[in-house]
Amino acid sequence: MEELILELKEQIIEVLNLEELTPEDIDPKAPLFGAGGLGLDSIDALELIVLLEKRYGIRLASAAEGKSIFTSVENIAQYVSQNRKK
Amino acid sequence: MEKEWAGTTYGNAWMHRWLIRMLRYIDVRVLYAFTAIFVIPVCLLVNPAGGIIYRYFRKQHGYGPLKSAIKTYQNHYQFSQVVIDKFATYAGKTFRMEIEGAEHFQQLARGVESFVMLSSHIGNYEIAGYTLSSDQKPINALVFFGEKAFVMNNRSKLFADTNTRMIPIRPDMGHLFEIDQALQNGEIVSMPADRLLGSQKKLLIPFLNDTAAFPYGPFSIATIRGLNVLAVHVMKQSTRTYKIYVTPLSYNREAPRQQQIQELAQQYVAEVERMVKLYPTQWYNYFEFWKDDEC
Repeated sequence: MEELILELKEQIIEVLNLEELTPEDIDPKAPLFGAGGLGLDSIDALELIVLLEKRYGIRLASAAEGKSIFTSVENIAQYVSQNRKK
Repeated sequence: MEKEWAGTTYGNAWMHRWLIRMLRYIDVRVLYAFTAIFVIPVCLLVNPAGGIIYRYFRKQHGYGPLKSAIKTYQNHYQFSQVVIDKFATYAGKTFRMEIEGAEHFQQLARGVESFVMLSSHIGNYEIAGYTLSSDQKPINALVFFGEKAFVMNNRSKLFADTNTRMIPIRPDMGHLFEIDQALQNGEIVSMPADRLLGSQKKLLIPFLNDTAAFPYGPFSIATIRGLNVLAVHVMKQSTRTYKIYVTPLSYNREAPRQQQIQELAQQYVAEVERMVKLYPTQWYNYFEFWKDDEC
């Protein structure tokens, strides 16, 4: 799981162009959206949706599902490990 | 002033119904004349938008004070015309459409790939939706969630005949899933690319002698799956005629994502600039477009 969390952090930094951050700067338990975390917004969510699809073969079915998964890097990692097709 | 649009057509449902009923029986020119004489002068006196547009002509076009004042009046008059035309369409009236670049739309519409159409609040984009349509591919038009139900219902009725459906921007990201779904299904997604709606991420682009903030989202969505992109603008030519400009935009699909987004945005903004130079009075962003802390 640690390896997947690191991989996800690297992917998030790359696709969201968060050049000022390193994987160590991202707390895997911190919220991704809103204040107190990475402060991502809805457009970033779409990048994450496509990232999950392209890299792990996971297609999310609804906004509600996305909302529950994209709460933290740790949560995404957990979901990816259980649902990945690649 | 917040750089965001209130997102709704002025007036209440009663006013809109009344307007549509009137337009069934009278010529649009009667309402044009009424607004020119009675409505626009009052609007210019009480609405701060007059000053914003005056400065747009002074600074962005370099016009003198008198010419800017005259153009400000013309801008408001033309905006009232496109609003009247929109309601005239709801009332069943039609306008003559000339299309430049229709082949670009038709070629992409015949293909299996999805594509994106970008537009701005210039001219009268909505009226394109009743003309530029495809039997093969549904068009998904991203619209503001706060638009009045009455306007939305009328749009839906007209769009139903043109294989077009609306996706309202929602606070719960639901619209992004709908857009993504449409793009995966090989459909067309149409988005405004000049206002920050939903996401506040922006790109700073040189535009009409200054730097302006454009939304990041539409360019990100268009490039995320390496899609073809068309700029579509619909400009009023005369009382009964509009001209649709369809222009293909290109970007290096092998370049890093941020470069793709930047390239596409710059191309799109250059096309908007071309349109606005051709039709300076058809610019309808009534807020401080160039006033931004980061500009």
